[in-house]
Amino acid sequence: MTNIIDPIAEIDESRVSDGQDVVIAKSRIIFRRFMRNRTAVAGLFVFLALFLFSLVGGFLTPWNKDTIDPYNIGMGPSPDHFLGTSQAGIDLLALIVEGTRISIFIGLIVGGVSVLVSAVYGCTMAFFGGKVDAIMLFILEALIMMPAILVVAVATSGSGGLKNLPSWLLLIVVLLFFSWMGTARLVRSLSMSLMQRDYVKAAKYMGVPSRRIVWRHLVPNIGSLLVLDFTRGITGAVLAEVAFSFIGIGIKLPDVSLGVLIGQATGQVSSFPWMFWVPLTVMFLLTGSLAMMNDGLRDAFDPSSSSIGRAKRTAVRTVKKTTK
Amino acid sequence: MLKYLMKRSGIYLVMIFLTTSAGYFLAVSSLKPAVLEQEKIPRPTPEQVAASFRGLGLDPAKNAWERYVDWLGNIVTHWDWGRSPNGASVNAEFGDRVLVSTRLFIASIILTLIIGVALGVYSAARQYKFQDRVITSYSYLVHILPAPIAYFLVQLGAISVNEAVGQRIFFVTGISTPGIDPGWPAFVDLVAHYAVPTFAMTIFGWAGYQIAQRQYLLDNVNADFVRTARAKGLTRNQAIRRHALRVSFIPVAQSIAFTIPAIFTGGFFAEAIFAWPGIGLWSIQSIGLQDVNVATATLAYGSVIFAIGAILADFATTLVDPRVRVQ
Repeated sequence: MTNIIDPIAEIDESRVSDGQDVVIAKSRIIFRRFMRNRTAVAGLFVFLALFLFSLVGGFLTPWNKDTIDPYNIGMGPSPDHFLGTSQAGIDLLALIVEGTRISIFIGLIVGGVSVLVSAVYGCTMAFFGGKVDAIMLFILEALIMMPAILVVAVATSGSGGLKNLPSWLLLIVVLLFFSWMGTARLVRSLSMSLMQRDYVKAAKYMGVPSRRIVWRHLVPNIGSLLVLDFTRGITGAVLAEVAFSFIGIGIKLPDVSLGVLIGQATGQVSSFPWMFWVPLTVMFLLTGSLAMMNDGLRDAFDPSSSSIGRAKRTAVRTVKKTTK
Repeated sequence: MLKYLMKRSGIYLVMIFLTTSAGYFLAVSSLKPAVLEQEKIPRPTPEQVAASFRGLGLDPAKNAWERYVDWLGNIVTHWDWGRSPNGASVNAEFGDRVLVSTRLFIASIILTLIIGVALGVYSAARQYKFQDRVITSYSYLVHILPAPIAYFLVQLGAISVNEAVGQRIFFVTGISTPGIDPGWPAFVDLVAHYAVPTFAMTIFGWAGYQIAQRQYLLDNVNADFVRTARAKGLTRNQAIRRHALRVSFIPVAQSIAFTIPAIFTGGFFAEAIFAWPGIGLWSIQSIGLQDVNVATATLAYGSVIFAIGAILADFATTLVDPRVRVQ
């Protein structure tokens, strides 16, 4: 058995191709299930559009984030500056492009790496058990206990050796350090219960090597959790960055991020409203699109998913007939 | 039971010790108060700075380990958490700050818990109906809104209410008006200061509980034991209340442990936005002022709050879960 096949999706495929037995790759099943969820697809498009915007958005405006336009200081949106300018006369569009890029970058790195760390850590705990498990759980709980915000503040506002690093890099390191514990606990308990399942036991007694058991049986089952946690991790990191930068810890000027832009604008919401509402909207689009994707991703990666798309009635009925 | 709680407390004490020590080393190695002294007018000589810090037990010439040993020795022998670079004692200010924070959070913690669990039960009982969709989508919306921005928006709303009415109904910052008469005016003033932060923290706080409670209750509503209860003649509401609710509250009770430190961190933002001089604001300010001892003391407080939350959660679990009591 090289693929874990969802029987219903298989039927869906065979119905299309005139009853021939076709084995479809898991990735295609996942892709199809994801595409069935309209909200999730819309979220994906918004996210990709923002990502693209953060990469090539700089070409939409002749200005960049370091150039001051002395004739348009603190002006609202105009043909010269599509989104207006800041109190210092810097084009807001250029700032937003830069800020979105930094925010997405922080989100992707923190989300991706923390999922990997938590998967490896949680599986290791479940796999070895006993003393190793106890010690690793102790470290994990000690880390949960530490208020991350204080560590962020110390790391980014200290004047010791850490000062030489750019603030976004420091923020990534600290966020990574404090973002993986919750998922690691979940992965641990989930894989512990999976290890007790009959098919894992059977594989063990058949002499299947541990690495293969993990890859074939554990990973597909916790995969849905991990993928979900990847998007949640991105959202969490983006939100944490905005929150920390908003109250003045975290990202520091001259680095720009969505949080810095929103935070700077709070003092003058009534006089420069666009400086506040535009970055806030972009942040909402970013976190909102990820939230929209969550459910579709969870369903797509879930091996016991009941999403069967158009095949619904007829296919299920034929299955019942054939099994009888 | 008592033995189990004692054992947990012991483990948490070790953890508090370790996190606080780690925090102290991090703070000592990255916070350098001498840098800020250079901005004073007239500018003190490095010798003067070193001498004044030596008097406060913040000797920059000592290495991190020596300072750690001194600091720990003072705490263990006279419960002295050290001094700030400006000479103020950490112990003296700590109590006031904790009191301000506790006053700020206590109402919203209780309200959040009650409203969240109640809405969770309500929306689970009406799954996929209009009310459920509204309540649950609101909770998911709150999840993508960072706490400080949410508080700030509430603040903007309160200001516009004040402007619309033409007089100051709500105070959006601060803890009380100086020089207010005692009695009824003082009480009105208190309420006017409390209203906005408590409102903000409550309406943005219950989402987590609501989603969790709804999910766990839905997992149990269709369980066999609830069906049995219905078959014996209980109404649907009775069956949910007497059988499903109790079981579904167990994981929620446990999750409280992990939301109490979250309230504490949410508290940093609330105190920063609403300018309440509580412990969260103090810790952020102290880090800006390169104050090692205050930063470590507040970190220790955060760890203690977490440990209390975790022990309370264990205790709550034994209250609602008969299986734990039997063991």
